[in-house]
Amino acid sequence: MITKSNLYRKEKVYGYLFILPPILGLLIFTLFPFVYSLYGSFTDWDGLGQMNFIGLDNFKDLFSDELFYKSMYNTLFLMLGIPIGLVLALLLALGLNRKIPGTTTFRVIYYIPVISSLAAVSIMWNWAYNGDYGLVNQFLEIFGIKGPNWLMDKDTVKPALILMTVWKGLGYTMLLYLAALQSVSRSYYEAAELDGASGFQMFRNITWPMVKPVTFFLVVTNIIGGSQIFTEMNIMTPTGGPEYSSASIVFYIWDKAFKNLQMGYASAMAMILGIFIFIVTLIQFKMNEKSSFDGD
Amino acid sequence: MIKKKGFAITMVVLLLMVAALAGCSGGSSSSDGSKELTFMFRGGTDEQKAYKEVIKKFEEEHPGVKVKMVVTAADQYATKLRAAITGNNLPDIFYFAPGDVKAYVNSGVLKNLTPYIEKNKDIKLDNIWKYGIDLYRYDGKMAGQGDIYGMPKDLGPFALGYNKTMFEKAGVPLPDKDKPYTWDEFIKVNQELTKDTNGDGKPDQYGTGFNVQWALQAFVWSNGADWLDESKTKVTIDDPKFAEALQYFADMQNKYKITPGIEQSQTLDTYQRWMKGEMAFFPVGPWDMSTFEKLPFEYDLLPFPAGSTGKSATWIGSLGIGVSSKTKYPDEAVELVNYLTTSKEGMKQLVDAKVQIPNLLDMADEWSKDTKTKPNNKQEFIDIVNDYGRSLPGNYTYNAEWYDIFFTDIQPVLDGKITAADYVKQEQPKMQKLLDKAVEQEKKSQK
Repeated sequence: MITKSNLYRKEKVYGYLFILPPILGLLIFTLFPFVYSLYGSFTDWDGLGQMNFIGLDNFKDLFSDELFYKSMYNTLFLMLGIPIGLVLALLLALGLNRKIPGTTTFRVIYYIPVISSLAAVSIMWNWAYNGDYGLVNQFLEIFGIKGPNWLMDKDTVKPALILMTVWKGLGYTMLLYLAALQSVSRSYYEAAELDGASGFQMFRNITWPMVKPVTFFLVVTNIIGGSQIFTEMNIMTPTGGPEYSSASIVFYIWDKAFKNLQMGYASAMAMILGIFIFIVTLIQFKMNEKSSFDGD
Repeated sequence: MIKKKGFAITMVVLLLMVAALAGCSGGSSSSDGSKELTFMFRGGTDEQKAYKEVIKKFEEEHPGVKVKMVVTAADQYATKLRAAITGNNLPDIFYFAPGDVKAYVNSGVLKNLTPYIEKNKDIKLDNIWKYGIDLYRYDGKMAGQGDIYGMPKDLGPFALGYNKTMFEKAGVPLPDKDKPYTWDEFIKVNQELTKDTNGDGKPDQYGTGFNVQWALQAFVWSNGADWLDESKTKVTIDDPKFAEALQYFADMQNKYKITPGIEQSQTLDTYQRWMKGEMAFFPVGPWDMSTFEKLPFEYDLLPFPAGSTGKSATWIGSLGIGVSSKTKYPDEAVELVNYLTTSKEGMKQLVDAKVQIPNLLDMADEWSKDTKTKPNNKQEFIDIVNDYGRSLPGNYTYNAEWYDIFFTDIQPVLDGKITAADYVKQEQPKMQKLLDKAVEQEKKSQK
């Protein structure tokens, strides 16, 4: 008995040692900046000098800040890409899950954007969207369509960004769906076939529920990632786009903090964003609990 | 077995911790005992190359001092610098914008260079552009006077260039370098030079292609208007003269069709069109000289067209080189700043690299007389600095948010969707609100 508990204690130590690095990282790189920023959000800190406590003034100002609402709206608008991306990726995954030649090649092709640097991808799309010599408009010209100047027009800049983010994330989403699809046991389909179920019925009653955990995971991570979208617009529309129409909330935070000496105000916005993400994620977890599918 | 494994795990954990901690410390003394200075700057490839050469020379002349260079892309620079300040991890020597002098001095980021400069008898302040030095003076209340907190890296007079070869080909008389075009004349010349050269019904040679953010000032100022009043606390864009200039600017595209249309108006485009010789007029900064030297056509400089004041106007850009108030080696750091900005040796290398105009008056005089190299009329750069160049409006205020928003919202005017008169009316209160905020912030930072 004594030896067993010794071994147990030893393992416990190893266990803690294993989780120590990420916890240290969390403390140094997440918790400390978070607390610092929380405090900063109650001050008039300019990011350089001293911090003066001003209570809730930053938050009050936020409510009458037109650009805050605008960048929040832009961020939500860009999230339209999430359902589009999920549907496309699932369709692709279904296609590539079949036993037809060449699937491996296609899987690789769709995955290439995922491993490419976001900055490089943004620069590439920046060229593609150029109104004059851009690839997109040259392509449209083949069909006699005169394409707009995508990134310089407030009506087209957001769809253009959505198209790019969907393209960029497609491979990753597809791969996860593919893994989920392959873990679905054949026996379900065989049973359904015996019962005379149609292809669509099989998809609705077997495939879709079986990949639900993956869908849930993707929706949560995509929304969190989508709320923090920044690099794309920072490179493609460095001034926030025409009439600030492509500025995301993180872009606005960055603008305030690093360009306009209002770190305290930016911190307040970051807090609001944090709370927003927290609530949305919480709702999703609650919803998932309710309709959870017991996969085994 | 377990023991061995445990040892390995412990080592890995330790290594990770060491790595994490090492990332935090920023030592500035190099291993061989020499003094190491960090210099953070930005610039195009030719500029970077030139600065690397100058620094190499500096190190040769100053044994025991090593300079570590940190270069970033131009649009990332300000963010990186602010992050370094916030993180208390400032380089010893760095570029900064003249508009940031007040904020950086009030919060103790910049070292006061005055005592070092007075001590150094090699520096003759009266042989350097007064305009340039004044940009980096601040007495705690007013910018432009008091102690010196940075030295001008250079002055960047933004002149107008024209494609001489194109004029000659089209048989259009060359512009007079001493007498600016009137606005009407300018349109006329541009119309003559906007051409469909391959007969497909679309012009492929244009008169001009200005980026509004960098060229509108010339038109507004020469029409007797401005963004700010004397006190720098009131936004004055609702002046009819301002609207007139903005309308003229937008009309170049929409009414007179002398610039590439809405679809083609991106900066990159016009820059490349100019480089390909498909554009008659294009603004030229001194930093462009090394690139434009290789152009397949002759180009030269002239004053911007003059509005109702009859006088040409444009802006002078500048970047300062400052020293961190926390540097370990202030003497060496200031020495490097001086080498880059006021020493004959350093300046000559930079000027020869064609990335800037000389900082030193006597050198500038000699340089402008050299008509063997492009552009011929270098005197225009000097005239801008001496006579009529101005600072960009955003430089006068604690932050430039109010000024930036003017350009953020401007696209509908350029596209001809709303008139300039409506735009300035709608935009003025918005900008005023942001300016008020900046003024208030400045007051707070002073105490």
